[in-house]
Amino acid sequence: MSDYNLSRLNFLIVDDNKHMLALVKGILHALGVKNVLEAVDGADAFKELRHFPADVIISDWNMSPLDGMDFVRMVRTGSDSPNPFVPIIMLTGYTEMNRVTEARDSGVHEFLAKPISAKKLYGRIKSIIEHPRSFVRVGLYFGPDRRRKANPNYNGSERRKEGSDKMVALPGSEAAKAAEAAPAPAPAAEPAAAADDGGEEGGMSQDDINALLDM
Amino acid sequence: MSDQTKGAANAKAEFITPPKTLQNKVDKGGPGAVDLGALAKAEAVIDNLAGDYLDWVSEDFIRLEVAFVALKSGAEDDKKNIDAMFSIVHDMKGQGGSFGFPLMTQICDLLSGILENGVTFGPRDHRAMRVYIDAMRVVITHKLKGDGGKEGSQLLMGLQLMRQKG
Repeated sequence: MSDYNLSRLNFLIVDDNKHMLALVKGILHALGVKNVLEAVDGADAFKELRHFPADVIISDWNMSPLDGMDFVRMVRTGSDSPNPFVPIIMLTGYTEMNRVTEARDSGVHEFLAKPISAKKLYGRIKSIIEHPRSFVRVGLYFGPDRRRKANPNYNGSERRKEGSDKMVALPGSEAAKAAEAAPAPAPAAEPAAAADDGGEEGGMSQDDINALLDM
Repeated sequence: MSDQTKGAANAKAEFITPPKTLQNKVDKGGPGAVDLGALAKAEAVIDNLAGDYLDWVSEDFIRLEVAFVALKSGAEDDKKNIDAMFSIVHDMKGQGGSFGFPLMTQICDLLSGILENGVTFGPRDHRAMRVYIDAMRVVITHKLKGDGGKEGSQLLMGLQLMRQKG
């Protein structure tokens, strides 16, 4: 097995628990990551983002004064956000379905349930590398496309095919040039998950979480 | 459905290609790439920190006890103490399984569920919390790693029965 070389990636870890910070940092270093910056809550992390070019953020949820979910919203939709497209992995002890869907609908790329393992963390990083997603601005949502897969059996309405859906690349970006040369990806034929999914009691396993997010 | 929600549901989606992807900054294979050795090394980091975990968790128990005593005394705002307890138990839940004590994660999950959903608690709730905290201590003092074997399953079964009885 030989996989990705992560040494050029900059990671920002956000957690108010110094032991978890040490743990995640240690795992990343063992995986070959050289540049890791730590922040102790969402406000601290947002401040760090102004001068730290994070390629990936790994954030806890339950922090104060600014928790992980508010931090994600600030990064995605804040008018002064330095990096609204940065991939975010939510690493949290929350595993209830309503929490997972709330995180997804706030704009996280990946949801990683504690307890953590090196294999699980690398799996989420690898997923971001191998499956880059377009961003979507729709209604109140701005973040990575929540439709990860096309569902060939879906027979419902396809809102995104109606009207003026459009693919936009930032002017002058490499993506813009690439977009000119390549056909735009076909929109998936699956309904966007409702933002008000009902919550469920009881935690989900990481496999269940992955399956939910892959729907 | 509110007007605002209706509006959001009917909005047209605008797709935006991010200015960069991680693929631009990672190579596959070669020296320094993640391999089985790197993953084993990373798992070893967790194992190495597991020894320190027993010290950390002792500190967590002290802080938890302080918040619990304050909650029981009723001298302060309940919410403040409940939030403090939840925050500590939530952290313990995440750390337990990470460092080889998944039973801690399971018991903390039960206790954090009570703390998260409650607003005020009476003596009966306090007794239940005491049982959960003591069970967490048993896991650590008896070093019940993994599923904790027979002792672990009995402990968990007892707690689940208590929870079902309410």
